[in-house]
Amino acid sequence: MLHEERIKLMTRMESYAQNGGNKNMQIGSYFRGDYISIQVIKSVVSVTIAYGIGFVLYVLYHLETFLEDIYKIDLLAFAKNVLLYYGVIVVAYGIISYLVYSYSYSKAKKSLKKYYDHLKKLNSLYRDQA
Amino acid sequence: MTGLLEIKEKLKLMYSRNEVFIIPIAKFLLAFVTLTIINGRIGYMSSIDKLPIVLIAALLCSFLPIGFIVFFSAVFSLLHMYALSMEVALVGLCLYLIMFLLFFRFSPKDSLVVILTPILFAVKMPYIMPIAMGLLGTPASVVSVAFGVMIYYFLSHVIASSTAISSMDAGEVTAKLRLLIDGILSNREMVVIIAAFAVTIIVVYLIRRMSADHAWTTAMVAGAITNLVLLLVGDLVYDTNMSVLGAILGTVIALLVAKMLEFFGFCVDYSRTEKVQFEDDDYYYYVKAVPKLTVAAQTKTVKKINTQSTTVSSKANASGRNSGTLGRSTSASHTVGSRLDFDPSDSAEDLFEDLFEEDDFIGNSRNVVTQRTVYKRNADRSASAFRRNNGQHGVTINNNMNDDMAEDNDFDYNFEELE
Repeated sequence: MLHEERIKLMTRMESYAQNGGNKNMQIGSYFRGDYISIQVIKSVVSVTIAYGIGFVLYVLYHLETFLEDIYKIDLLAFAKNVLLYYGVIVVAYGIISYLVYSYSYSKAKKSLKKYYDHLKKLNSLYRDQA
Repeated sequence: MTGLLEIKEKLKLMYSRNEVFIIPIAKFLLAFVTLTIINGRIGYMSSIDKLPIVLIAALLCSFLPIGFIVFFSAVFSLLHMYALSMEVALVGLCLYLIMFLLFFRFSPKDSLVVILTPILFAVKMPYIMPIAMGLLGTPASVVSVAFGVMIYYFLSHVIASSTAISSMDAGEVTAKLRLLIDGILSNREMVVIIAAFAVTIIVVYLIRRMSADHAWTTAMVAGAITNLVLLLVGDLVYDTNMSVLGAILGTVIALLVAKMLEFFGFCVDYSRTEKVQFEDDDYYYYVKAVPKLTVAAQTKTVKKINTQSTTVSSKANASGRNSGTLGRSTSASHTVGSRLDFDPSDSAEDLFEDLFEEDDFIGNSRNVVTQRTVYKRNADRSASAFRRNNGQHGVTINNNMNDDMAEDNDFDYNFEELE
């Protein structure tokens, strides 16, 4: 027999799941530290690729200078500078990522709390019927 | 005004019932306009500068996720750049990739802003963007608007230097790259616009969030003035050759558009018909949840409690935005009868959370209907109205949906919410 209360509850839950809830559930399946670490690592990879692209453009822009002065340039100092800038950018971007993903994790958890409450309620409705 | 609000309610009703058609059509139109502008402005590759190709791409965008409009736009612009010169396409690809890698991981939804900003530049109405994003977005929108501005100026630079690029020899790779990169990095007008837009977005956002009367209107006017002043100062300092008359006219138009946005965007909850499928041990359920909206204006009473206790009745507008309506009168068929403990020191967010503890859905097994009684922005405004008023003379606002409301001088309020 159809149970009105249960259908209402399930509709609400399914509607939540379809409107961003699934994404939150995916986030909620991680521990906080794990989720943030994975996202920060992904961010570091992204920023490394972006830095690489920027570096290639920089080299191409100054290609003629590099080719002319290749023996005059202190390559070690140049590499140090490149790595220093890379480090600063990665750290800054990592901190921003950490903050963004900490916020999104806590937001997802907060939103899931209500979903889990509904789940408990649904469970009790099934139990009552049984 | 009531007439306008009723039109708004009717539009919402129409939207909620026909959302399944309206969204694909809107996506199709946006994609079509974007690709047509790209083809019309850049158009170096004649094989994709054809109506059937644009129509096919726009049709694909109409049912694919909205990010595909951005994807198709990027592909079309890169193909045109490639037809002009491979180096141009390479620089364009690098620019897009850097933007994608650095920013759109965080907020993929903002990608639409990157499309809309160049489009508004193309139709000479760019000043709408910072005000609109300040009203509807967050400070993070600064980055997406800045990327949009950069893309517009990059494409403009490509178009402006197309003759020079095509006249260069194929061997002059570095010269072409230098020409393009210099075009982006040394464009003062672009820098001034990015800075002005960024400050405008933040100013509009901060004022819009303030708990003051007419915060939205104040925000948009302040934003428009800030934007205009910064553009003029930037023009004077960096000699960007900006059209002053164009900036003033553009700002006035931006204000009008922002006012329209306020009308449709403020206190909005475009509840929509939802179709959900789920199952339990006994049944498969295919549920269509239809929003239960009313067009009729409601009446509410504002009750002031101070030394001169007065009761003011007012005909409320349908959205209940000017006073602290916490709920929205709808044709109720089901009483929830829950009690909310409301403390004026609660943040709007808390209040919203509390209110949403209530059931939104009412109905039966055949027709499950959804009813959104409380709106976040409404709650935002209500909370600020409560805080503000309580600080002065202690005002409670009764939305006339219940009789059982208690108040005392410690500003503890209990509401009976009737759905």
